[in-house]
Amino acid sequence: MAKVTEITVWTRGVVMDKEARDIASAFAQAAEMEGKFIQAFDNYEDLPDRVFVTTRKYARISDEEIEMKYLYTNNHPDVVVIVEPTIIKGMNVLRGMPDGGLLVLNTNRPIDYMLRFIPNADVLGAIATVDADGISGIRTVDFSGSEGGVDTAGVGAGIAAPILGAMARVTGMVKKENLAKIISDVAAMERGYNEVKIQKFRKSRAEYFWGG
Amino acid sequence: MAIKVPKDREVPFGAITPAPVREQELFITSNWRAVRPVIDHEKCTLCFTCYIACPEPCWSYNEKEDQMEWSWKFCKGCQICIHECPADALTPVPELDFEDGVFRLEKPF
Repeated sequence: MAKVTEITVWTRGVVMDKEARDIASAFAQAAEMEGKFIQAFDNYEDLPDRVFVTTRKYARISDEEIEMKYLYTNNHPDVVVIVEPTIIKGMNVLRGMPDGGLLVLNTNRPIDYMLRFIPNADVLGAIATVDADGISGIRTVDFSGSEGGVDTAGVGAGIAAPILGAMARVTGMVKKENLAKIISDVAAMERGYNEVKIQKFRKSRAEYFWGG
Repeated sequence: MAIKVPKDREVPFGAITPAPVREQELFITSNWRAVRPVIDHEKCTLCFTCYIACPEPCWSYNEKEDQMEWSWKFCKGCQICIHECPADALTPVPELDFEDGVFRLEKPF
């Protein structure tokens, strides 16, 4: 079985739920346009999500058909995306990460300051930050129960767009031209692509490319 | 804290809690919090509005110090106390400004 790149998106329930789902689904959809095999799905373990509770969204990308059909959590995430940066303080988000993984944070604070909240940061191959709240700042807060499913903003609006741009540049798995066909806020995606900050800790393993 | 339940009568996590106690060691919800209420004891008039408004309840009266006390373990950062305080003694401060004060979980419950 070929290497499956597992992407876990951590978010706060209800208030940033739609943005995180857009990140997982739009990133996987863009990879599918480049001929990859994908899976993208919502949380199952963390349900029911309540306001501000940490929840997860998952995506899987592979060159060959993915055979992990009945696993509904990413037990060994290669890429961890944090939509709300306070989550790293109260949760071991790097749990199960293989050596040399990538952490993408939505924050405007310096990388060195954020690293003091991650006691197990030595497994990381690289860390990237993007100030998505400063670039876009829009969150789809919806208490109707549809969880953003019927809103008119479209896929990839709000803080999802800059984070998607940052992920496209740092992971190198998708092209931003393909992302631009899917998401609605293309200008914010371009800004996230250009303004992402990356710090590499060591030479990553051969299957990883954490560029920038 | 371990409560011994027979194997054939196992129940979901949190179904049995010891009571009455002041603090439950299960369901520590401090990692829900993105913003922390910080009290200014000079401005506080001890009106107990935060004590009444808090859904958890995280505010209590410390008789020795003669001031209100905040529980970092269970505050979810809902900011109702900040909204309700008539003396403006509470200010919202981002949780990342502080080094400690959050219980770190291995995985969500």
